[in-house]
Amino acid sequence: MEKLSVDEVKHIAHLARIYLTDEEVETYRVSLAKLFQSMDEIHAVKGYNEDILIAPWTEEAALREDQVGEMLTQEEVLQNAPSKNGKFIEVPVMLSE
Amino acid sequence: MSKYLDLGITEIHKLYQEKRLTPTQLLDEVFARLEKNKELNCFITLRKEEAYQEALKLEQEEVKGLLWGIPIAIKDNIVTKNVRTTCASKMLENFIPIYDATVIEKIQAAGMIMIGKTNMDEFAMGSTSETSYFKAPKNPWKTTHITGGSSGGSAAAVASRIVPLALGSDTGGSIRQPASYTGLVGMKPTYGRVSRYGLVAFASSLDQIGPMTRTVYENALLLNVLAGHDVKDLTSSSREVEDYTSLIGKEIQGLKIGIPAYLVSEIVSPEVKTVFNHVVEILKAHGNTVELVDIDYLKQAVPLYQIIAMGEASSNLARFDGIRYGYRTAKEGTVDELYERTRSEGFGEEVKRRIMVGSSLLSSQKAKLYYDKALSIRDDMQASFLKAFEKYDLLLAPTTTTAAYPLGESLQDPLKSFMDDVLVIPANMAGLPALNLPAGFNQEHLPIGVQIIGAPFEEKKIYQLASFLEQELSLDLEGGKCND
Repeated sequence: MEKLSVDEVKHIAHLARIYLTDEEVETYRVSLAKLFQSMDEIHAVKGYNEDILIAPWTEEAALREDQVGEMLTQEEVLQNAPSKNGKFIEVPVMLSE
Repeated sequence: MSKYLDLGITEIHKLYQEKRLTPTQLLDEVFARLEKNKELNCFITLRKEEAYQEALKLEQEEVKGLLWGIPIAIKDNIVTKNVRTTCASKMLENFIPIYDATVIEKIQAAGMIMIGKTNMDEFAMGSTSETSYFKAPKNPWKTTHITGGSSGGSAAAVASRIVPLALGSDTGGSIRQPASYTGLVGMKPTYGRVSRYGLVAFASSLDQIGPMTRTVYENALLLNVLAGHDVKDLTSSSREVEDYTSLIGKEIQGLKIGIPAYLVSEIVSPEVKTVFNHVVEILKAHGNTVELVDIDYLKQAVPLYQIIAMGEASSNLARFDGIRYGYRTAKEGTVDELYERTRSEGFGEEVKRRIMVGSSLLSSQKAKLYYDKALSIRDDMQASFLKAFEKYDLLLAPTTTTAAYPLGESLQDPLKSFMDDVLVIPANMAGLPALNLPAGFNQEHLPIGVQIIGAPFEEKKIYQLASFLEQELSLDLEGGKCND
């Protein structure tokens, strides 16, 4: 069975912003390769139309009036934040010296 | 104790009208059955106290429509204000939504009582419900077997007769496939027929909420409540909502029915073919034309789905970053490390795999090579379906290639869960309405279903054919009933 390289899996995990243990990298080397192999089947399709279908939805976008509607309170918005400080959501240091 | 839950909704409604039954009494039965059948693991979160309060409140009013006072179970990827909504993930284990999905407002307005939130594959990614962080639900027909998925908890709750109705969601067959495995009627409506506002997004161009019920009539009744335009969902249709029950019971004759050839090819097991052929014979015997039809690219439906669904999922699930809501890692570090650790610890193996594949597919050259190409083939597939509907009233196919199989069987193979959905994915790709109808059993007496696929917004016609077959087949579907 074909496997992806360790570096390939780590690159993909980084694109997805997912940290993987060495053991997980090994598991995904095989299962990701299997999935990519499966998806390669679309390359057998030739002569298709260049038009694309992003979503099977046929109506024109309907815009509503630009009026103030219902709004959430600050308390509601912060309700599920894993860490907060007063009226702010807390995150780790973003810029180091 | 009377077994009111074994009655149909019309009969329950009559008892309510005659004041011989109250919503509270029906809830007593629901929670008694739940208590005795915990091993089915249908629910992640129950809403017992609130349900009783709502029942008491209803009892102060006059009995309204047919669904008034009827208990319902909700798949746990539909947000419910102040009721935990987990998507069966550690990522949302403690997430309490601050608003209701549009479908929740609609069922409440109809006087229905939400019992709780049902188990499912994590973020609806799977076809057995085994990727749930809260362990898999069990098939009430045979508890060593899968319920199917991802709406497995909803399927088990209705098939076991714990609740009369449930909501599921269907991205690549997640209503129809578990309905087939548990002997239920499950409808994936036309894309845009039911608002997705408040449905936690998996693949936005495929997702639809739909009803899971014991009978065709009850399914149509529930769709009557769910369907409609919603200003909060840009993709919801402004097309008028019809009465989906209106053609039920009407004569079926002279219909032209197409069978997509690939969907009855060697990928389907002999036991499913036997059941399917029986249905075809019934249709022919009643003066309907049934013939094979070629639909383009059905053979590539699984890879198409993998590319489109995983691409969309990787983008949709980028929001779970440990900042605004959901799980956050306890490990100290930079903000980048916080994202990576949070997502590593919060998501299960299957979800991580799909996000990774999707992220890769949408990156650099691959986006054109895979994603754009998939969208082109999808366009052709939809065109081919629409062309078929110029000639045929409806399409018919099996729903699944086999009956339900033992738990654990698919866990080692990352492709199996996709292959299980090979017959149901095309309707999502083309945005078509499609319904599973129980049609027979295998030798182990496990249910097998057939799928009726309609042109866009032809749900009414699907229900007409389904109710005719339901009556002709007249199956005994009590086999999933739970212990009293």
